[in-house]
Amino acid sequence: MNRWIWPVVIIGIIVLLPLVLTTYGMQLATEIFIMSIFVLSLGFIIGYVGLVSLGHAAFFGIGAYTVALLANVTTNTYVLILAAIILAGILAFLTGWLFVRTSGAYFLMITLAFNQVVYTVFFKWKDVTGGADGMTVRAQLDLGFGPVQSQLALYYIMAFSMLLCYFLLRRYIAAPLGKATLGVKENEDRMKALGYPIRSYKLIAYTVAGAMAGFAGSLYAFFNRFVSPEVASWFFSGEALVMSIIGGVGTLFGPPIGAGLFVILQNYISTFTARWPMVMGAIFIVFVLYSRGGIAHLLKRLWNRLFTKEEKLAEPAKVAEESKTEGGQA
Amino acid sequence: MSLLKVEGLSKSFKGLKVLNSVSLEVQPQERHVIIGPNGAGKTTLFNCISGVLPIDEGRIEIKGKEVVHLPSHSRVHDGLSRTFQKNNLFNNLTVEENVYLAIMACKPYRYKWFKSITRYHDLLEEAEELLKRWDLWNRRNKLVNELSYGEQRLLEILLALASKPEILLLDEPTSGMSPAETALTTQLIQDLPRSVSLLMIEHDMEVVFAIADRITVLHHGQVFLTGKPEEIKGNVEVKEIYFGGGALAGVNR
Repeated sequence: MNRWIWPVVIIGIIVLLPLVLTTYGMQLATEIFIMSIFVLSLGFIIGYVGLVSLGHAAFFGIGAYTVALLANVTTNTYVLILAAIILAGILAFLTGWLFVRTSGAYFLMITLAFNQVVYTVFFKWKDVTGGADGMTVRAQLDLGFGPVQSQLALYYIMAFSMLLCYFLLRRYIAAPLGKATLGVKENEDRMKALGYPIRSYKLIAYTVAGAMAGFAGSLYAFFNRFVSPEVASWFFSGEALVMSIIGGVGTLFGPPIGAGLFVILQNYISTFTARWPMVMGAIFIVFVLYSRGGIAHLLKRLWNRLFTKEEKLAEPAKVAEESKTEGGQA
Repeated sequence: MSLLKVEGLSKSFKGLKVLNSVSLEVQPQERHVIIGPNGAGKTTLFNCISGVLPIDEGRIEIKGKEVVHLPSHSRVHDGLSRTFQKNNLFNNLTVEENVYLAIMACKPYRYKWFKSITRYHDLLEEAEELLKRWDLWNRRNKLVNELSYGEQRLLEILLALASKPEILLLDEPTSGMSPAETALTTQLIQDLPRSVSLLMIEHDMEVVFAIADRITVLHHGQVFLTGKPEEIKGNVEVKEIYFGGGALAGVNR
């Protein structure tokens, strides 16, 4: 019973939000959904695998450019999105095969280097990608019922995509695959001693995250109708890292919150000053210093403070039993 | 055929020969204990057998199969499992989750996606059985961090047992335990089914003689002597060199 409350509340809010949002708000919310998928995939490998990547935008960019480039061949939305996911996934698998041998700062640097390579390809290969000028996306989002023109439909499609990704990752972390992956993050040596090939778990997670970032990139191409090398820049990777850390890694609901807050603040602050990155930087520092677990952690603490006490009182037997075992312990 | 056979195993660290042509065998059903002073190379030997460290020379066979070139995680699936001298657990997970991970390692569904781990009923049942046998059932929802040291030490052994090994390497299972905890652990180890052969490093002589079928004395990276407990107990050289005469006297009392 209890486990259904949150999903219903969240889906309810997302469904009803268009009633109060302005056109600009709708635009922003749609962008947040796409960004959430991207940040979710990054937050997943940081929080559940321990791979802190500074090159995740490479996969976002590959997804976006796959749609933009393949649109010259076909305009079938499903084919384009699938191609973006598969291509990003394959690239994540191949690079990950090398990268997961490293960890910590080395992993950070090697993913950053890879990101720069991808960026440079998009930036320099002018004949194909249009270089720094970017390129317009010729295909339009079309799920088989004609091109999606209305902002409302676009909003719901992106919202659904985000919820789908969230759901899939939730299944991932609850299943044996995800539990073992978390085990690898917690204690690699023990996992080896227990008989797990730890690199396989890292590689699978990295590939899934790459494919998901590619999916986000492909949605972005449809949403923005224009792609430029910036979508694959390491600066964008860094922003995603900030979003996931502000939101809170180690949970799945943190990254979307971080993405939402980041995009909203960025838009809000930039109406006052062009130096919005300074303000965002200050916010980031505060979070790193005072709330390691990000907003998700703060919300959890708040929730526990407000509601856990009552639950304990409701089950006196359980509390008594707990204090007994603790007493025996002491 | 012996379950585990180590032959001419040598290992050096930066020119220092820690293991020098060590050979030993563990027979099915056997409980084999390795003793020796600090720095004799006991833990290094375990690290080599379990595949944590690559070896310089020699052979390691599990049930007649050469495993030297296999990574440590593959050796587990050949029936070898180990514990660590210093607790090496998933400190931020609950006791139950620790056990799930340990059991799952040898399950065909360890790569399965989508279905929640709590819906694999054989996993839950095996975990319950293990936790109850090792007296940790009512602590199952605690984080490992919240356990006492002795309880963590028990969990360390429990995790190694979860893969249903045929050969279990125990690296000083009772180290740092109180006398009461040591007695309990010794009893639990003695109660293990004989289908699990033991290779164990131990310093506590009471524990050694309570458990051992055979004892190997390791000194300066070499096997000094292998024999039945009575032979080791009666050996004057072993007494003189390794125990200074005192430790064994305590047992004989």
